[in-house]
Amino acid sequence: MSADAAKSESVRKGRKFYGHGIPGVQLEELTGKLIAVEGADGSGRSTQIARLVDWLETSGHATTQVGLKRSSLVSKELEQAQEGNILSRTTLSLFYATDFADQLENSILPALKAGFIVLADRYIYTLMARDMVRGMDEKWLKNLYGVALEPDAVFYLSVEPQELVQRNLAKNATLDYWESGMDLGLSRDMFDSFLKYQTAMQSSFKKLQKTYGFQIVDANRPVGSITKELRKKIRVLLAAP
Amino acid sequence: MAKTMKTFAELNFPGRLIAVEGLDGSGKSTQIYLLKRWLEAEGIKVYFSEWNSSELVKSATSKGKKRELLTPTTFSLIHATDFADRYERHLLPLLRAGYIVLCDRYVFTAFARDVTRGCPPDWVRGLYSFAAQPDITMFFKADLEVSLNRILEGRPKLKFFEAGMDLRLSTDPYESFRIFQGRILEQYMAMSGEFNFTVMDANQTVGKQQVLVRKLVSEKIDLKKFRRRSPLPLPPPATRLEDKSKEPDEDMAATV
Repeated sequence: MSADAAKSESVRKGRKFYGHGIPGVQLEELTGKLIAVEGADGSGRSTQIARLVDWLETSGHATTQVGLKRSSLVSKELEQAQEGNILSRTTLSLFYATDFADQLENSILPALKAGFIVLADRYIYTLMARDMVRGMDEKWLKNLYGVALEPDAVFYLSVEPQELVQRNLAKNATLDYWESGMDLGLSRDMFDSFLKYQTAMQSSFKKLQKTYGFQIVDANRPVGSITKELRKKIRVLLAAP
Repeated sequence: MAKTMKTFAELNFPGRLIAVEGLDGSGKSTQIYLLKRWLEAEGIKVYFSEWNSSELVKSATSKGKKRELLTPTTFSLIHATDFADRYERHLLPLLRAGYIVLCDRYVFTAFARDVTRGCPPDWVRGLYSFAAQPDITMFFKADLEVSLNRILEGRPKLKFFEAGMDLRLSTDPYESFRIFQGRILEQYMAMSGEFNFTVMDANQTVGKQQVLVRKLVSEKIDLKKFRRRSPLPLPPPATRLEDKSKEPDEDMAATV
């Protein structure tokens, strides 16, 4: 067996969908890398992704970015529906899953096939954690997201809710309705609701971490040290077959 | 996923749900429309809901279909989104309020179509596992040729997804439609027993079928329990004077 054949063999073993996946996809053709970055608003996700793209592209790697609510199929409709806040939880959940699947099939899989590094600004875990906080059945969610491809790495940028609230207010002088979980009626007070909601989100993430084994990155630290840690981990990933 | 679905009656809902299923051109929509007219005339609280009709999701679905953006997975998910919206915002509250809800197509349409498109059956059923089983499901079974001819005669231009063109069964839309519908029929028949379909012979005349439909419904559902107790509430006196034109027929409901 040639070195190349051995290499592609090892790629094939590592790649998998969480469930049945997308019909007709040849996993061994997905030679790129999929890196997901998770974390609340204010965890520094977007900043870190921008820095990683910069670094990766300078080092000669082609990249693609995906994120929630960015599909050409439903992003506009999803945005509208959310503004009115009229969707019930199962509907919203399925709408987001449609948005995810559309990007998976039309952006992520083709890019991986072309050998790109795909950076996902949030992946299925945020969607699952949000739904779990809203009382959706975990088994139902697992089946739903059985379409998803397992990333090569998932980094969860963990920030204490107290710190998150400071960062969000410093940036926007206001708290986002959804990021505060206001639809849940945890508290009429937005500040209070934000803290309660983000605490609940963290415990959902911890629960998911046990199943999906993503890496928790302490993002209470300065931007530079987080970037350093992420680069180090990604370097190892890129060196692997 | 061997878990059996429970009906709304078994779940102690005050309302009941009746679904019709069948191929395009099987005449099911005509039958459920006539059923609705009858129930309304009987003064029964009735609501009609159609597959793929949620206002919110519609624009995304029609865009996806028009531009042929949908894959089997997203086709399935977007229809599940549409169903969930109608289910949670309309069907459930109405069933809680003691309505008879009529559905032109229910989850079985997805079970048949999406699986024909190559989605795994367990996955599709899992998506819809939040939905309870109808109290009555009528499957209108016409000979495949009869259904095909009804559609192909009346509406000669077939839409891309309707004809199953995404499956690349044939480059000819008519041929593709025939093969596609045949496969969907197989899927329906395979689940008929599992979900307790009442199979209706859709080769009979519309009138004969409707007699059977009404008989079945009145045998299985104690309809008098679903009558409106009183006429619809009248508007407050202040607006009544200006709005006289809007309140004519409501008294009819009281006479039943």
